[in-house]
Amino acid sequence: MTRLRLGLAILACLALGALAAPWVAGWLGLDPDVPDLLARQAGPSPEHPLGTDELGRDILLRLLYGARISLAVGLAAAIASSLIGLAAGLLSAWRGGWVDALLMRLADFLLALPALPLLVLLAAMDPAAIGLPRGSAWGDVGRITLILALFGWVGVARLCRAAALSTLARDHIRAARALGVSEARLLRRHVAPALAAPLTVAGSLAVAGAILAESTLSFLGLGIQPPASSWGNMLANAQDLVFSAPMAALWPGLAIALAVAGAMLVADGLRGQDR
Amino acid sequence: MIGRMIEAMPWRAATLALALLAAPAGGAAAQGHDTLTIGLSQATGTFHPNIESMLAKSYILGFARRPLTGHGPDWRPTCFACESIPTLENGQVALENTPDGKPGMRVTWRLRADLRWGDGRPVTAEDLRFAWEAGRAFETGFGGAEFYRQAYEFLSDGPRSVTLRFDRVSFDAGSAGGFEPLPAHIDRAIWEADRRNYRSRTAYDTNTTNPGLWNGPYRITAVQPGAGVTLERNDAWAGPAPAFRRINIRVVENSAALEAQLLAGQLDMIAGELGLSLDQAIALERRARGRFRFEYRPGLVWEHLDLRLDNPVLRDVRVRQALMLAIDRPRIVQSLFDNRQPVAATAIHPDDPMLDRSLAPWPHDPARAAALLEEAGWRPGPDGIRRNATGERLAIDLQTTAGNRSRETVLQVIQGQWRAAGIEGRIANQPPRVLFGETLSKRQFNGAVLFAWISSPENVPRTTLHSDEIPRAARNWSGQNYPGYSNPEMDALLEALPQELDAEKRRPLWARLQAMTHRDLPALPLWHRAEPHVWPQWLEGIRPTGNMSPSSLWVTDWRVR
Amino acid sequence: MLRIVAWRIPQIAATLLLLSLAAYLAIGAMPGDPIALAMMADPRLGPADIERMRALHGLDQPLLARWWAWLSGVLRGEFGYSRLFARPAAEILWPALRGSLVLLGTALGLAALLGIAAGSLAALRPRWRGAVDALALVSQALPAFWLGILMIILFAVTLGWLPAGGAPDAPGMLEALRYIILPVATLAIAHLAAYARHTAASMAEVLRAPWITAARARGAPERRIALVHALPNAAVPLLSLLALDAGALVSGALITETVFARPGMGKLLTDAVMGNDHNLALLALLLVATTTLLATLAADLAQRALDPRLAERRA
Repeated sequence: MTRLRLGLAILACLALGALAAPWVAGWLGLDPDVPDLLARQAGPSPEHPLGTDELGRDILLRLLYGARISLAVGLAAAIASSLIGLAAGLLSAWRGGWVDALLMRLADFLLALPALPLLVLLAAMDPAAIGLPRGSAWGDVGRITLILALFGWVGVARLCRAAALSTLARDHIRAARALGVSEARLLRRHVAPALAAPLTVAGSLAVAGAILAESTLSFLGLGIQPPASSWGNMLANAQDLVFSAPMAALWPGLAIALAVAGAMLVADGLRGQDR
Repeated sequence: MIGRMIEAMPWRAATLALALLAAPAGGAAAQGHDTLTIGLSQATGTFHPNIESMLAKSYILGFARRPLTGHGPDWRPTCFACESIPTLENGQVALENTPDGKPGMRVTWRLRADLRWGDGRPVTAEDLRFAWEAGRAFETGFGGAEFYRQAYEFLSDGPRSVTLRFDRVSFDAGSAGGFEPLPAHIDRAIWEADRRNYRSRTAYDTNTTNPGLWNGPYRITAVQPGAGVTLERNDAWAGPAPAFRRINIRVVENSAALEAQLLAGQLDMIAGELGLSLDQAIALERRARGRFRFEYRPGLVWEHLDLRLDNPVLRDVRVRQALMLAIDRPRIVQSLFDNRQPVAATAIHPDDPMLDRSLAPWPHDPARAAALLEEAGWRPGPDGIRRNATGERLAIDLQTTAGNRSRETVLQVIQGQWRAAGIEGRIANQPPRVLFGETLSKRQFNGAVLFAWISSPENVPRTTLHSDEIPRAARNWSGQNYPGYSNPEMDALLEALPQELDAEKRRPLWARLQAMTHRDLPALPLWHRAEPHVWPQWLEGIRPTGNMSPSSLWVTDWRVR
Repeated sequence: MLRIVAWRIPQIAATLLLLSLAAYLAIGAMPGDPIALAMMADPRLGPADIERMRALHGLDQPLLARWWAWLSGVLRGEFGYSRLFARPAAEILWPALRGSLVLLGTALGLAALLGIAAGSLAALRPRWRGAVDALALVSQALPAFWLGILMIILFAVTLGWLPAGGAPDAPGMLEALRYIILPVATLAIAHLAAYARHTAASMAEVLRAPWITAARARGAPERRIALVHALPNAAVPLLSLLALDAGALVSGALITETVFARPGMGKLLTDAVMGNDHNLALLALLLVATTTLLATLAADLAQRALDPRLAERRA
């Protein structure tokens, strides 16, 4: 279980950092979003432990506040894809027939699509058109979560379907059915527990995928809107000046790598590859 | 920092393996300077001079063909394919009446004798006749439809003489907009066979490397769609010989990659018209001053915030003035742009002959901004944001093109400075296609939008200020008066200006126009964007123009030192 | 086998048809049509001009009618004209496709090779397992463009060993090789992890199988067991991974292509979608989807052929 522990420890540290952001802001006496044109691209100092970015904002603070957004995107997208995937997988395994065929063809369909251009297409749409608020970081989180979940549920659904199918085929389920146990109870008591393991694995992988996807969208200018920071948009903003101020790009890159690695370790640990 | 650290590592094996593949020192520079490789940050679509206007195309075509006229680095009208700019004084412009009795004019251009297409044929009046006919036939799809509508008759009394009759009087008719010779001996037959589909069948796109299409110092010899263009000397060119045997244009859309290729020696220079962002160039100059030469030319690219005047909050001119006074433009220009681009008083560029020098840019004056807001009924609220009598917060949407880091950066600074004045700016950036294609053009914005207008010297801003040009559904959303500025005096000015042929008599009209936009602020002027030109130490003779005629039109002046 | 093919091919065709409709509508529903963009470029277009331009481009027709017109063109073999590049869409597609095939073919081949080798190593030599796992973890966690830019800074700008991107001036294999090393490395690092993990997992499973124990009992040498008995069997689950990557082969790698300024399908697709270039976007999308669907089918068939248990299940 070392891997699971290590992964959880990494994620917990990052989450703790995210929670502590306002406290650190108070301690440093700085606002993460307010530019200070007199202190652009400063090196590390007691006032700015990691230096400042191209607008003179504290990089450490922006990393911590960015953690809130990036981790929120990761978690929300993972939860949303897991829920949709669970529902679709379970339904498809339990009902079978045309429902199964329809859902699985839909899954094939989505898998056959090149995801990135479509993410771009969706991300370019106006959030106000689908009732999301414009110009708030949490509105962006919602938009990106929605887009990622739209593609993310497929993998989860396939895993859940496979697990549910093999459970439903077991003898004790057949026996329970023969005894007249209600279908709802059957699913709840017997099938759902069997899905917990694949679901958590798929979920933690989805966290990793979503954090990377957010950085890609930011690279294309379609991620979280400024001035709020996310690791993705910090990285994207730093790239223009990457040759003169490489540290501004290094930190968010490391944060992303760390978070993704943490989530993958958790997935590995849950999968039981540890001994 | 990072590079240095890793360099010091004893990576013998890797070094050995890679040394086999390593570049000959200097890369492009080692080729003895008979080739010039230029980096550009935008790809081109069509190569037809009159279909779609794109900066990248205009830069590339600057090497390969001569327009009729343009503006020189000194911003005066200059002839490329003609002998002299038509004026009343030299008799090439004559006032007359149109057949239906309205005031009109007749403009004559004399074509240069030595201009030839790459296949040796001379450029003649027939090439301009074809351009005029194609432009007038709407289904061809040329830009600048208005020019062709006004030029109702084409006359020619010899292969080198071209006269157009216009159905109205305008001081800048001699500069002829986008009117330029097109190779009639190649394209006329294609156009006549199928006018509707000419835009997709023109030889410029189906046979781009045909020498007969090009009449400039260079001709296009290879095209890699979306990736670049190769130009070689045009043998039929009779003017001064250009210095380079070949010019490679490389498209690198990612700005960090563009800089990397320059630093790695794969690119010799980066075009200022379409290259690095200004802050990137300034940072590069600090580190690589010895290797490259840098020149910054504030161009006719006016960065500004269009304000939505129908918004009840912004309808109050005091609020608009307060918004202007709250922005510390000198500070932004100094710290982000190293004072390379001038703070704008109005849309009129400081180098424009019609600039009213008595008009100073709005200063940064928080006290006056506060006083104006108080006067307009906006009092400080508990969260530091001002509120009016009904408790409404003073919040204004701030939008710009997502992905344009320089603009995104500026917008965040403005947001911060507004907050200090008790104004909340809500940033909601959109991809250019959405912002320009919908939000602005269909007037769906509600606050302020940061973008730029590109214009030419002494360009009458009718489309952005006339009340007829406010986009609305009934007019198919045409027009660019996005703020919705409507003022009868301005309308009258905009109508009178083009018809005044005497430059000195135009001056007071221009002064009035500037005073009105300065006071009414339908848009908050920021600055005139500077183009950062980067070229190698061994190259000289490049003269950035800062106007719509790209520096590539003067490629024959470029020399190896 | 034939029955499966006969059943899946019509499904694939239907999926493609649906996809083309969905994509057409989605692109059409995006704000900013070509006319709106033309209006930005040319301020002198009046209301009447715009009306006529709409008719000229067929934009006055309803979306569904335009899709139908496009579809009937495609069925006749006319893929239309790319608005963005002012050339026939099919002509634009080819260089981008070639670029992606070369770049991703090399990168994925390398990733599969190294990944399978590392995965086998982890399964056969447990003391290497930690190192392989760590490598896989790191390679999967790095954001692609960050890695790409770091490599450019190191190898192209600081050391000057390799070009920072673009395509070679001079022809020749060695020259082409120099230009492709960095982008291939960026991509291979990102893809290697999945192969390593899957190989390690399925090898470990196969090695516990009774017939491996039997082979060991017969005294077969370890190397022979690994290469002849274990690896081919462990490769079966990798087929679906390969099928997914076959899709990536034609859909390209947007970020890597952008950072290294190489022509490719990823950038082409995105540019076409964002530039409202219906003909090009749909042609590229359909190509990618067809490849992915066919590759999935091929992987299914291969798995059935290699693993009789699967064939029983649905026969």
